[in-house]
Amino acid sequence: MSKWGMVIDLAACTGCSSCTVACKSENNVPLSDPTDIEASRSFSWLQIMKIEEEGHGRARYLPRPCMHCDHPLCVLVCPVEATRLDKDGIVSQIYDRCIGCRYCTNNCPYTAKYFNWHTPVWPEEMMQGLNPDVSIRPKGVVEKCTFCHHRLQSVTDQAGAEKREIREGEFSPACKEVCPTQAIHFGDLEDPNSTVSKLAGTNRAFKELEDLGTEPKVIYLREDF
Amino acid sequence: MSLFHFPRWTDVFRPLMGLAAIGAPVYLTVLFYYGASPKTLAVGFQPIQPVPFSHAVHAGDLGMDCRYCHSTVEDSAHAAVPTASTCMNCHERILPDSPKLLPVREAARNGEPLEWLRVHDLPDYVYFNHSAHLSKGVGCVECHGRVDRMDVVTQEQPLSMGWCLDCHRNPDERIRPKDEVTNMGWEPPAGEYRDEIGAELVQSYNIHPRQDCSTCHR
Repeated sequence: MSKWGMVIDLAACTGCSSCTVACKSENNVPLSDPTDIEASRSFSWLQIMKIEEEGHGRARYLPRPCMHCDHPLCVLVCPVEATRLDKDGIVSQIYDRCIGCRYCTNNCPYTAKYFNWHTPVWPEEMMQGLNPDVSIRPKGVVEKCTFCHHRLQSVTDQAGAEKREIREGEFSPACKEVCPTQAIHFGDLEDPNSTVSKLAGTNRAFKELEDLGTEPKVIYLREDF
Repeated sequence: MSLFHFPRWTDVFRPLMGLAAIGAPVYLTVLFYYGASPKTLAVGFQPIQPVPFSHAVHAGDLGMDCRYCHSTVEDSAHAAVPTASTCMNCHERILPDSPKLLPVREAARNGEPLEWLRVHDLPDYVYFNHSAHLSKGVGCVECHGRVDRMDVVTQEQPLSMGWCLDCHRNPDERIRPKDEVTNMGWEPPAGEYRDEIGAELVQSYNIHPRQDCSTCHR
């Protein structure tokens, strides 16, 4: 069994936002209109946080997807088991089971969950470009980054048909694929030879809000050491 | 004006009131539980198709392989419904003037697809993959029934989530050798038992049916 995880190298991230765009188009994430943004109801499964500090030459950027915690706080509070920790370490969200109570949204320390306040709309010319492998979420359910687990399903089916294990690099989310500086690494944290577990073992590695004990599977690499 | 009084003889019903009070909730629960279950609602769905195509003739009597028409079933999630030109491969010569085939000839001529009605229809939030099941030795017949005996295709199984999970939890009895998946009438060889063969195949095909919600819902 594998345990999927992501390593983001903050020294390489330039804050270009291509991961955010790729994520939106891969996962049919609805576009936010200006009134939503004003009400802090904008949607983005992968947000880039800009951190400006005095005495530091340039702004720092922190790409923040769902952390896919090993002890997920959202799963603890869901009354209907609409969000679950899967066997392969991905925290999944089952939209048809969600009742929209937003406990999970409030309990997530990383604010990685988003509630659908309206029925999603896209401009007419974008409707043809929606991904058929991902369902369109209705009004009133919570959604979040899934590490593109629809890709994992197709890769697993393919590997199963060919009677082999999943190769390294075969399954990767859309954000990793488009990153122009290759700041995002993705792989199996349980395999000691994978790139992610090697990077996660270096002394540059840290996790966001580590002291909460949520054991996130998104690991950052410090910019300077 | 005097008040209305129930006549004395209605007292016979008095002891029955308690029975009705207990019986009504039970009756309603049973009615809704069985009346609204997929077994009652979906099984037996048999729409009238635009062309009276008979699977019993094509797949049964003529013995055509399922994959001649549903050609993508082994490689993709979706089992394709054939284009009219696939029909015309044979019907160019066979029954070229049949009035029943008129819509097919027209479709092949002007390129407009035939509007078949979908019999086995899953909800939009379920992502079913045909190739994943065929490559692990789940036969067509397990979900679709004996299509080779159906003149009009009927839904035989409830296709509900509980029904899917029954097999995902205990696949032994549903697995067959991979080269027999399209053989509707496959029986285990004499003297062998279905679940024993299945248990061996589950080992050799490395089958671990997934039960995570995200396997089908995403």
